Amino acid sequence: MPVPRHLDSRLESAETDDDVLVEVLYQEFGAPLLRHVRKATGNDLQWAEDVVQETIVRAWRNAGRLHREPGLLWAWLLTVARRIVIDGRRRRGARPQEVEPADADAVSVPDGSERALEAMIVADALLDLSEEHREVIEHTYLRDRTIGEAAEILGIPPGTVKSRLYYGIRALRGILKERGVAS
Amino acid sequence: MSPSSRDVHEDVAAYALGVLDEEDHQAFERHLMSCEECQAELRELSEVPGLLDAVRQDRSNSLTGTDDDRASR
Ligand SMILES: [Zn+2]
Repeated sequence: MPVPRHLDSRLESAETDDDVLVEVLYQEFGAPLLRHVRKATGNDLQWAEDVVQETIVRAWRNAGRLHREPGLLWAWLLTVARRIVIDGRRRRGARPQEVEPADADAVSVPDGSERALEAMIVADALLDLSEEHREVIEHTYLRDRTIGEAAEILGIPPGTVKSRLYYGIRALRGILKERGVAS
Repeated sequence: MSPSSRDVHEDVAAYALGVLDEEDHQAFERHLMSCEECQAELRELSEVPGLLDAVRQDRSNSLTGTDDDRASR
């Protein structure tokens, strides 16, 4: 997690000044967030930058009730960014668009072959899950669907989807950890 | 506001993936701010969606119709 220790105090002193807070959030989280979001936008840099901006704005708007603990704040930012990407993808009504960024060197993304290897390992890990667990991951996150939508399609209660997703994601993380791609 | 008996902590996975419906998302976030267990678990799970993105992108590069692949089994 790319979160420096000094952040706590910076966030606290920024609490009173909106402009400073936005700036601190950008400085501390902007670059790592962009790297993450680009993976989700199929390397569409423009879209990714918009998502990061919107995420930071939402963080700023929620600053009053947001936890100052950097690890948690980072997790919060990732979730918000993910929801914005999913929304955007649904609105476009399309699978991720493959866009070659004009300035591919400007921001580093994982090397293509490394990413391909990662994809293989994750795909394998998914196959090692139980059918029930794989199914809910497939029908929610991997198809940009909410719990409610997946529940309807699968014909099971939303609570069951959430519960299976919980155990499925935990199992998946366990396998990925074993295989050295998750920490 | 939340399903009565089911364990609200379990929503942490759906939250990490960003797939909770809006009302549940808000409700879980309120819970999260005061539940250290879920905070710890969220930190643990938060890298999983990024890893799943690798699969998603891989598919969009190589496949077109993935929709009914499992039904045929
Ligand atoms: Zn909890």
